[in-house]
Amino acid sequence: MSGADTQVRHGNDEAVDVSDPRLSRFDLVREGARRDGVEIVHYAPRFPVPGTKAEKRVERTIALFFMLTGLFATAFVVIFVAWHWEWHPGNNAGSWFTPLLGVSLALMLFCVGAAIIVFAKKLLPEEVAVQERHDGASPRDEQVLTGATLLNMADEAGLGRRPLLKGAIALGLAPVAAVPLVALGGMIDDPHDEDMYHKTGFDPEANGGNKVRLMRENLTPVRPEEISAGGQITVFPAIPHGATNQHADSPTLLIHLRQTDADELRRNLGHVPINEGDMYGNYVAYSKICTHAGCPASLYEQQTNRLLCPCHQSQFSITDNARPVFGPATRRLPMLPLEVDSEGFFVAKSDFEVPIGPGFWERA
Amino acid sequence: MSWKLGRRRRAVRPDDAVPAFTPPGRWRRRLEATVRLIAALTIVGGLYAALAPGVSQAEDTPPLSADAVQGKQLYETTCISCHGPNAQGVENRGPSLIGAGSAAVEFQVGTGRMPMARQEAQAQKKPPHYSWEQAAQIGAYIQELGGGPTLPKGQKLRATDEKAISRGGELYRINCSACHGFGLGGGALSSGKYAPSLNDASDREIYAAMLTGPQNMPVFGDAQLTPEEKLAVIGYIQSLKANKDPGGFGMKRFGPVSEGLMIFLVGMVALVFATLWIAGKS
Repeated sequence: MSGADTQVRHGNDEAVDVSDPRLSRFDLVREGARRDGVEIVHYAPRFPVPGTKAEKRVERTIALFFMLTGLFATAFVVIFVAWHWEWHPGNNAGSWFTPLLGVSLALMLFCVGAAIIVFAKKLLPEEVAVQERHDGASPRDEQVLTGATLLNMADEAGLGRRPLLKGAIALGLAPVAAVPLVALGGMIDDPHDEDMYHKTGFDPEANGGNKVRLMRENLTPVRPEEISAGGQITVFPAIPHGATNQHADSPTLLIHLRQTDADELRRNLGHVPINEGDMYGNYVAYSKICTHAGCPASLYEQQTNRLLCPCHQSQFSITDNARPVFGPATRRLPMLPLEVDSEGFFVAKSDFEVPIGPGFWERA
Repeated sequence: MSWKLGRRRRAVRPDDAVPAFTPPGRWRRRLEATVRLIAALTIVGGLYAALAPGVSQAEDTPPLSADAVQGKQLYETTCISCHGPNAQGVENRGPSLIGAGSAAVEFQVGTGRMPMARQEAQAQKKPPHYSWEQAAQIGAYIQELGGGPTLPKGQKLRATDEKAISRGGELYRINCSACHGFGLGGGALSSGKYAPSLNDASDREIYAAMLTGPQNMPVFGDAQLTPEEKLAVIGYIQSLKANKDPGGFGMKRFGPVSEGLMIFLVGMVALVFATLWIAGKS
């Protein structure tokens, strides 16, 4: 909004000649504000008599806040440079590095803010000013003028009569749009990829046709007698990178059931025909990936024989083929077919017989 | 056989001058064998009858150690109402303790979980009714009654070198963190049960819990987590407790998301009210 425009709109006052030498500096300030549509209606110093005790006290307060600001800023720098910053176990100087930085920074910012606020509210003159607001829509004239300006820009570019330029811009900018597309598109996996969704690290085909052993996180194979009755262990496929994110779909919970619980599960195996023959003695192995959202469903309750998922509280009944009994999961945890090889280590008879993890759209 | 016997009889008969060498007759030998058999059976049976009651009496009253005698007295004033005489359990009240071992008793009684105040989803930790020494005495009684896992001697059951603690961290994250949480805070299980916080658990309590799998906690026997690995896990847990949160107030280590939320909610509200207060003073 130009000054002239304002003057036209608020032209009820007499125009002030700014070159008039009789005008004080404050008169010019008031005129400048007036031309921007701001009317100063009250203006008075906080301390009409300079140098009073009260004024000095306010000055000292502000000065104190600025000094403290400098002190805390210096403290921040000194701590940052000189404090022992490395982390060591236990409670030592290094554990206080970050808290001290935070405290000194916070105090510094608080002091500089307090100084400015006290300055503005206690020392600067009291002022009440009124600004008029213009109505919602722009005047009709301005709308016409702005429209003409925009159309004129299009005319100046003249793309309508320069087809070469038009084509070049289209061809040049289309690949630019492809840059984010490929970057994001690469994150989408093919939902029809058999390997991706139907095979895990326990697939013997990926192991040269040999059955895959079960191993711990420290790469040692597992013997049946190593798991206590009423105990569980997280196992991974004993293949290269089997316990890494490369086979993030393979972690499996190997459980040694107590005799009565194992008997109950054996009776129930018929409920899910594909699970029959998958137990080894009193041992059973379920995929650790929850069928609801893929969290590790590994909270094992050894007396109530439930597996819990911590994310959304799905619960699976271990003695009934990991049937979901509570929570949002709707599908059983897949069972890994177990046996023991000639050296006495657990192996997977085959891969999981149903896809692991959350349901996807091809599956009922 | 009959041919041989018949032949000998014929050969002996003509010469009666040497009666000492006369083989016993067929019927006589059979009679002698029968008598010997009956005599042997009578002796064995009689010995058994004489000795067997004594053997069974000896089994009923094995010589209990001094601790176990103390423990038996404690057992019979408190535990017996749910676990029954001779720790055989009472239907719908308390399980049999045969084979539970002293480790389980020390954990349950020493942490105040037993005796239970009432039947509920899970026995809770509370100020213990018996001291850990008394718990050990009851444990000795149960141990001598039915055997089971026992705790190693000593109170300080933890690894202290950094390498072992680091390995303990790996083991903690894969075996314990699902229920007890990354920051030892514990968490909810099904139907009112929960994994307790480890923040005020002693070395001995953690060791006993791993060894015996109290309540719904899985058992981590010595073949699954070796004693050294158990000490490493405990070393990690205790070092985690001793470590100060390097970022300041850690909010029980619920993690960065909750911290961010708290900073946003509390910080924003504080800033809004500070702004209102400053503006209100004008």
